[in-house]
Amino acid sequence: MNVPSKTQKQWADIVTGRKAYELKFLAAKIMLGRLVRTVGPNGSPESIRDAVDQLHAIYEKNAASPSVQEDLKTIFG
Amino acid sequence: MQQDIMTIAAASELITKGKTLLLAGEESLLKQLPKGKWIGGTIPYFISPNQGGLVSQDKIFVTDISAMAASVEVKAYSETELTKVYTEAGDSGFSFIVIPAMTGVHAAFALNAPNYDNFGSQPLIGWVAGVHLDNLGKEKPRVFDGLTGECADNAAMVMHVTLPRNKAVDVGIVNIFEQGEGDTLTFGADGFACTDVLVNGVKENFAAYIERNKLDTKLPLVADYYGALVNISFQSVTAEEVKFYAPVFHGVRYKHAKAVSDYATAFDGQLKKIGLSQDNVVFSCNCILNYLYSGLEGKNTAPFVGPITFGEIAYQLLNQTLVYLEMHDK
Repeated sequence: MNVPSKTQKQWADIVTGRKAYELKFLAAKIMLGRLVRTVGPNGSPESIRDAVDQLHAIYEKNAASPSVQEDLKTIFG
Repeated sequence: MQQDIMTIAAASELITKGKTLLLAGEESLLKQLPKGKWIGGTIPYFISPNQGGLVSQDKIFVTDISAMAASVEVKAYSETELTKVYTEAGDSGFSFIVIPAMTGVHAAFALNAPNYDNFGSQPLIGWVAGVHLDNLGKEKPRVFDGLTGECADNAAMVMHVTLPRNKAVDVGIVNIFEQGEGDTLTFGADGFACTDVLVNGVKENFAAYIERNKLDTKLPLVADYYGALVNISFQSVTAEEVKFYAPVFHGVRYKHAKAVSDYATAFDGQLKKIGLSQDNVVFSCNCILNYLYSGLEGKNTAPFVGPITFGEIAYQLLNQTLVYLEMHDK
């Protein structure tokens, strides 16, 4: 599965903590531990965009990893 | 894929054959090895396939990653250079890192790795080199570049590995500890030590809190990073200062871990939860504190073998945690 575009709503839902998924990819979980805390549910559009950029990049660069593929299915179906 | 404890002669033979190796052992042993495609670090504690946990000062632990290494580049990183470890990792493999304990580079990595440029762009796994506990303060932990024979006590040694096109890897952790039901603890600043803690938002002396609540300091503080449980182990407690083996971070919520009655039972429970295929594990290491507190000498932790370390690295520094690298066919 290719990594869906950054414009997909799910990315912003994750970094703001509006929606929580049970993820497998360890690097993303560590990154999200920081991003969800700093962006929060009322994050500014800029902070959300920056967080989505970071999260999307880490998934894109590790797209061949089995845990990334599992996460993409979990998030986007 | 081979992971085993062996003599200097047997390891030398593999190096001479051109194998790509990750090594762990006493400094005097690693210094005897021929040049070749290997990196290593000092430690005499291991989990071996046949004998389980053991101390050996005349054998080294060898992980042969030749089958998953299309090519490798080895580089020593100073404290300041280490910020580029992800940026220089390439785009089709993983990086293996060994850092000498109780050094500036160890502290810098512990505090800053999550904020390095391109964090997580490639898998990063490894461990913190140490010494026999009887030699703490007498000997320095060291890391080795097998290609040049260089030995360092103030730099991180990194092997950037390019995978064959049909292979992919994943980094995982096994943590037997979970957050307890007690207070939420936060800290005013990032660091390896603190005097005060915020208990459910109220500031107090951390040592007094530990004493009053009779916290077992063999159990770590545990933070929840979006489902990944990250431990902070206690090093020492005095009235003036509480020291940790890894830094606490400002803004992160910690809880003291639930008690674990039996390591083996908790470990098996975690393994089942992960659903790991043992055939895929190509490297793992576990913490010296788990080895000591859980009595792993002579015990088996299959499917995991490898060095027992002064810190574990899975993208960032971890404590009291087993880390592992899995290889998969694409």
